[in-house]
Amino acid sequence: MSEKILNKDKWSDFVSNVASSKQVWTMTGDDTVTFTPCAEAEEAPGKVLNATVPPKNVVFPQTETLFRFMFGQLEAELPEEAQEAVVLGLRPCDARAMNIVDDLFSWDEEDTYYQDKRQKTTLVGLACNEPGINCFCTSLEGSPASTEGLDVIMADLGEKYYLQAITDKGDKLLADVSGQLEDASDNDKKAFQELAEAAEGKIKRGIDASGIPEGLPNLWEHELWQKVSEACLGCGACTYLCPTCHCFDIQDELEGFKGRRCRMWDSCMYGEYTLHASGHNPRPTRRERTRNRINHKYNYYVEKFDKIACVGCGRCINQCPVNIDILNILSKVKEAL
Amino acid sequence: MSDKFEPNIVAFLCNWCSYAGADLAGTSRIQYPYNIKVIRVMCTGRVNPLYILNALQQGADGVLVSGCHPGDCHYMEGNMFARRRLGLMKDLMEFVGVDPRRFQMSWVSASEPNKWKEVVEKLVEETRELGPFEQFQRNMINW
Amino acid sequence: MIDLDKLRNTAAETVSRDDVKHLVGWKKGTFGYRVAPCVIENAEEAESLVFSPLCAANLATYITLPEKLPVPKGEQPDDRKTALMVKGCDSRAVVQMLVEQGIDRDQVVIIGCSCQGVVDLQKVEEKFPEPLDTVEAEWKEDKIVFKLPDGEEEVARDEVLADNCLICRYPNPVIADVSLGSEVEPAKDGEDSSVKEIEDLSLDDRWEFWEKEFSNCIRCYSCRNVCPMCYCDDCVMDRLNPAWIYRSVNYSENTVFNLSRAFHLVGRCVDCGECERVCPMGLPLGKLNRKLAREVREKYEYEPGLDPEEKPFQASYRPDDQEDFIL
Repeated sequence: MSEKILNKDKWSDFVSNVASSKQVWTMTGDDTVTFTPCAEAEEAPGKVLNATVPPKNVVFPQTETLFRFMFGQLEAELPEEAQEAVVLGLRPCDARAMNIVDDLFSWDEEDTYYQDKRQKTTLVGLACNEPGINCFCTSLEGSPASTEGLDVIMADLGEKYYLQAITDKGDKLLADVSGQLEDASDNDKKAFQELAEAAEGKIKRGIDASGIPEGLPNLWEHELWQKVSEACLGCGACTYLCPTCHCFDIQDELEGFKGRRCRMWDSCMYGEYTLHASGHNPRPTRRERTRNRINHKYNYYVEKFDKIACVGCGRCINQCPVNIDILNILSKVKEAL
Repeated sequence: MSDKFEPNIVAFLCNWCSYAGADLAGTSRIQYPYNIKVIRVMCTGRVNPLYILNALQQGADGVLVSGCHPGDCHYMEGNMFARRRLGLMKDLMEFVGVDPRRFQMSWVSASEPNKWKEVVEKLVEETRELGPFEQFQRNMINW
Repeated sequence: MIDLDKLRNTAAETVSRDDVKHLVGWKKGTFGYRVAPCVIENAEEAESLVFSPLCAANLATYITLPEKLPVPKGEQPDDRKTALMVKGCDSRAVVQMLVEQGIDRDQVVIIGCSCQGVVDLQKVEEKFPEPLDTVEAEWKEDKIVFKLPDGEEEVARDEVLADNCLICRYPNPVIADVSLGSEVEPAKDGEDSSVKEIEDLSLDDRWEFWEKEFSNCIRCYSCRNVCPMCYCDDCVMDRLNPAWIYRSVNYSENTVFNLSRAFHLVGRCVDCGECERVCPMGLPLGKLNRKLAREVREKYEYEPGLDPEEKPFQASYRPDDQEDFIL
């Protein structure tokens, strides 16, 4: 697999080069950083640790049309096929998250909307040199330089980036846009490995997740769920910002005689998520919903797909307005086991 | 037929005064522009300010709410509440950048068909000048 | 300044009362500058309560937040009181709930804490990046002192206070069963200059600004859920039959959502600043609410959350209300 170097001052040329044949998504924004499609980029990535909203938007848009219809017509119109896309500069945790969510979108039935986009997306990740205070990817089989799920991994070596292709798709991308790239030397590869090791050591928080998936079913009626959910507002910020959360709602929308069926992100922390038409709600309070969220990520998902549906990106911890801390909850779970 | 832009105006008229006034304009054969689409409500106090936003979102270019003069409300005080609430909705919309001429209120009593004609003509002309409403109209966005 | 021991003793006494179910206060968070709302049920837990410039959360939401489940046959519902620690703005939220008869006065025991303003974490992080270890902070005249892992740092209050705290006119609780802390002077200038900045723009520029902001909204509903005045069991924005707004996320639905919420808060918003603080996308929601609050103050001389006996703003009128905009 090829290994290349890209000088930072050639970054915007590189992006324009890639953008000439594919849609490019990078982190943009000053106050709030998100992944958006952009035709050209000025600043080289690496300054911001991570985008507030994860790049799951690329393969699983917040609002997505399933089909369009018009009164009087028998055939529904399917949306256009996805474009070829490249996500530049996502962090390894977000790429691992996409791998985890892939299993769900090919379970039972293939979710063609998701799969179409996923197969046409190339992920170029940027290894973390300075993990955030709430990152804990190493506790969940990840690492600041993990290559799982990525097609190419980039490392910030100061004045230049080191790029290494991981998959054939990544190799092809580097070959197609070779204009700004130079070959990497052994020293560059060594520098990358040193940075990766150093970054792993900088991760301060974590949890020993062994035993949690097996032990959670026994804690169903434990009093800890009441304690950890008492401050929860049921706001949904944690689910929308989580790279592995994937729940969605399907609605029909009408405009005059035209309409569409679309799906949009939903959150299990909302009260109405499990509200039945009869008025009964099997998860009536925040205690049940918090218990469900932890169980879904650390128990049910493991049962079905053998993976913990959490990558340790720390966004939920950073953004929760009332400091509900998943590491705190997990340590209480471990205590109770 | 001219190619002039014909605005779509939704009007919430109170049953007892403005609707009767508009009706009287009709029976008196007073010609007024046909751009106006009337929704009869029992009292302007019943008009939820969110209707204004919803109407604009669904394709209206202008909204009118018309009721009884203060003191003459069939339900005593409905129009007084409307005056407060809708006045503030107008301020809010103006703050966000929606031209205040798109949402107007008027007092038209059951015996004022000429005033009705004037109000409608004024509104239609102003909205025609402003052009179609495209600020937050639903328009198959990202369909 | 608040004497923490007195606060903890008062809390311990209050929560030990027979007629009080639990007390909602603030405790140290799990990292950095965070402070978490907590519910304590006995006097021992009262030792963990804190009150500092980091206590931004408005605890008045927690009166109406707990879901009321049906009571099993034969059992009595638990109608003991909720004790609550409030700052100035939070106490106004409680009063506003009383005005609207959303709660009863004898449902709550209010412990009022005079507040010199809470900090805006974004402003603090620009000066001192958030460390992993928890940080304590305290007010010190016109400065705020942060006890960081590397040592103490002092910063001028005006540089790190939240925007709404800089113009706070009610730093002392307006209603309380117990009052703690010495009285604090309200801000000299109670007007938000950023509202005037937007008013000075042309209509097109204003829409350009707001369209960009509303396009960023991800409709997570954090603002609505954190707001103490948004306590409807069945929010109109969630209804699907009729659907006021569609659940899809685009600038049209987002605009109507945010404008509707701002409108529902007319004459009710107590400017606690929570909506702005919790928004993950940084929408300037405070500007919308403060603009309407100013209109209500100037045109109708009404200020929400001061007198529990008053009638709600949107359900009252004066015969001489302005009507210069009416044809």
